[in-house]
Amino acid sequence: MSEQHSIAEIWVYLSGSPLFALFLTLAAYQLGLIVYKASKQNPLANPVAIAIILVAVIIQFIEMPYATYFEGAQFIHFLLGSATVSLAIPIYRGLESLRGRSIPLIFSLITGSLVSIVSAVGIATLLGANSSITGAMYPKSVTAPIAMGIAERIGVSPTLTAIFAVSTGIMGAILAPFVLNALGMKAWWQRGFAIGIGAHGIGTSRAFSIHPEAGTYASLAMGMNGVISAVAIPVIYHLFNR
Amino acid sequence: MISGLVQILLFQSIGELLSKFFLPTLPGPVIGLVLLVLWLILRKNINAELALVADGFSQYLGLLFVPAAVGVVLFLPQLKANALAIISALLGSVILTIASSALVVRFLSQKGPHE
Repeated sequence: MSEQHSIAEIWVYLSGSPLFALFLTLAAYQLGLIVYKASKQNPLANPVAIAIILVAVIIQFIEMPYATYFEGAQFIHFLLGSATVSLAIPIYRGLESLRGRSIPLIFSLITGSLVSIVSAVGIATLLGANSSITGAMYPKSVTAPIAMGIAERIGVSPTLTAIFAVSTGIMGAILAPFVLNALGMKAWWQRGFAIGIGAHGIGTSRAFSIHPEAGTYASLAMGMNGVISAVAIPVIYHLFNR
Repeated sequence: MISGLVQILLFQSIGELLSKFFLPTLPGPVIGLVLLVLWLILRKNINAELALVADGFSQYLGLLFVPAAVGVVLFLPQLKANALAIISALLGSVILTIASSALVVRFLSQKGPHE
């Protein structure tokens, strides 16, 4: 048996089992975390974005069909639902912070999530994007695990939604300090809450790294935005897409 | 840790069942999330095992959506063709969302009885 033949056999064996996809995904994410830490948590070096690009490039390069990759990686994907349920814990911890401030926070949340949907879908439509793109824009300000659940329910691509959500988080984490400074926002809790609505998880971790109070409110905003969006987006989507 | 996972999976399963039979527009895990928040409010505390599992999940939440997001390889031509619209929509929307949320929360807390 020639050496090349046996390597090909090992390759066929490995790529047929879930092991390769699992290893690739975890290793890429690990590498992303290392780069993220080395860059002193610069939002541009987002570990999720790095992992997505690495895995996408590698499976293209070795010509592995996406379906084959996903067959293995679905074991990671499956945990999204459980991770969504466990968002209950940060929400519960944040509820204390609502006290006495619930009216401004709730109205801010409603305004923010409506503005997010209308502006994203509106701009994309005006610039001529097709309906599969505009559809995936609806839940893009929602934390990705919930956004993908919403995408499935309204029948748009969860993949596009995840990509838009991650991009939104990265852009929001980078731009939020400039936007908030330009508006002269001073209170940490208000700054944090606005970041949590606009830039979900990635913005929240940025907020925590700047100020703990901002982080707590960002995390509360992200959780509440996830829940009300899951209720409201299917209704809004069907209103405009009959 | 196992007891924490059992609690999460229990609420997830209840959520999925309610979603399937009564609330088809709501994703099951979101119903599970809401029920778990209500349960925690009733119990008035988070048990240590549950906190351990939940914190583990939230720490590495990003890893979990990598498999689905890698599906971007199937959409590359579509994304390229719509690149300008997508980037403008995402940029415009994120700025407007953060600005409008911030202005509303500041405006209402100046007018409100608090502070």
